[in-house]
Amino acid sequence: MRDVAIIGCGMTKFGRSPGGLMDILAEASMRAIKDAKAEKEDFDAVYVANMMAGETVHQTAIASSLVDRINLIPAAAERLENGPASSGSALKNAFIAVASGFYDMVLVAGGEKMSTADTDVVTDLVATMTHPTAEYIHGVTLPAMGAMLTRLYMERYGLTERHLAMVAAKNHANGLKNPYAHIQRACTIEGAMSSGMVADPLRLYYVCPISDGSAAVVLCPLDKAKEFIDKPVRIAGFGHATDVQTVHEREDPAVLKSVQLASKQAFKMAGMKPADIDVAEVHDAFEILEIVESEDIGFFEKGKGHIAVEKGVTALDGELPINPSGGLKARGHAVGATGMAQIVELVWQLRGECGERQVKEAKKALACNFGGFGNNTVIHILERGW
Amino acid sequence: MEKFIGYKCKSCGRVMYPKHDRCLTCKGIEFEEVELGKEAKLVTYTKLYAVPEGIEMPPLTLGIVDFGNNVRAFGQIMTDDPQLGMRLRPVWGKLRKLRGKDIYGFKFEPIEKS
Repeated sequence: MRDVAIIGCGMTKFGRSPGGLMDILAEASMRAIKDAKAEKEDFDAVYVANMMAGETVHQTAIASSLVDRINLIPAAAERLENGPASSGSALKNAFIAVASGFYDMVLVAGGEKMSTADTDVVTDLVATMTHPTAEYIHGVTLPAMGAMLTRLYMERYGLTERHLAMVAAKNHANGLKNPYAHIQRACTIEGAMSSGMVADPLRLYYVCPISDGSAAVVLCPLDKAKEFIDKPVRIAGFGHATDVQTVHEREDPAVLKSVQLASKQAFKMAGMKPADIDVAEVHDAFEILEIVESEDIGFFEKGKGHIAVEKGVTALDGELPINPSGGLKARGHAVGATGMAQIVELVWQLRGECGERQVKEAKKALACNFGGFGNNTVIHILERGW
Repeated sequence: MEKFIGYKCKSCGRVMYPKHDRCLTCKGIEFEEVELGKEAKLVTYTKLYAVPEGIEMPPLTLGIVDFGNNVRAFGQIMTDDPQLGMRLRPVWGKLRKLRGKDIYGFKFEPIEKS
């Protein structure tokens, strides 16, 4: 198996994009290609991550459209759909293709255009990820899932609403330093705690926004990376695992077992342990998830994630900064593109290009991209490759 | 009368809901239909204010209930005053409208303290 490097990355500003899905996919892809200094290269393959183009922009076979728009023809091109973990899945498959020796130059682009549909339509489309007869038809939404998990945590571990507000305030503060973030506005703990109720006990400020956005990376074998750029980022490991679809049927509904399994795989492959990680991007579609994932990845003991938040461990200047980009909460959540936006942020962090939100001495990084409600998780571990 | 049905693995006895074609515990592939139970306890819940289409009056109370032995189900809880641990029974009724059609299924009604 060959070592694989990310030699270029780029993204669009998340939020409400004036352009269509293909415009933002092309913009992020061309930025990644220029960043890799690969404008004149031939590409072997293109993986496009997207969850709902057929429903939100009435367009299918979007990978064929992207290779046409940016002329990567005749590269092999396909779309990967794995819910909000589509980008993590696409990167994983692209990694395997390069590591195996089958492809040398690969573009991986995640893109989602969600502002074309009304909020209730998007909420319904996202809810179709749940079990069709045992969950969906009963009126469940993803915020309702987040709310039920929050209540279990409050009951069992003494988590309070204030902890959720602290995560939101931290992520808003980070987003304010990220020119690519959807939400660039400070939020106070008191402000978050007086926002409207979405799914009790989750208020508006503990729930991510609906965003348009795209992010892309270029991969090649690590031993060829220096022909392009000085600071390649090595993909040190990945993990990918699933769990029972309905939350009620899981061994313990308060445990994200797919996160636990995927991280174990990723740490084993990378030859690392949680304490080695300097910075992480995790999937905080709801602020409770940042806390639960930080435990199930292994950064903190189960039930103690909220204590780490209280102590500032996960703040930008803490021992383990989490979501320096602002996370899904502030950077935004363009479902199929979110996992790639996490990777792009971490590549910039490792290269030291994050300006005001730069994490000091970031050498090893972890991304947790999460599909369904925690039943399909892709983890990647990145490190400096120079 | 409609019965709230689960699937009991003929090899290991585990009861599952919804249906799986290989047992979640032992990978057994033969099942018999069993009634999940007449009484369950509320494990967690939410009062959903941002309701999806076809739900008439927010908030909608949703929750996970436990029939015992880790046999659980998810559904609508028919009270505005949910309490963790409260006793509930499954009842058949209209859940919502979905794309113009009435959808029926089991929801959970509090059992009055006697």
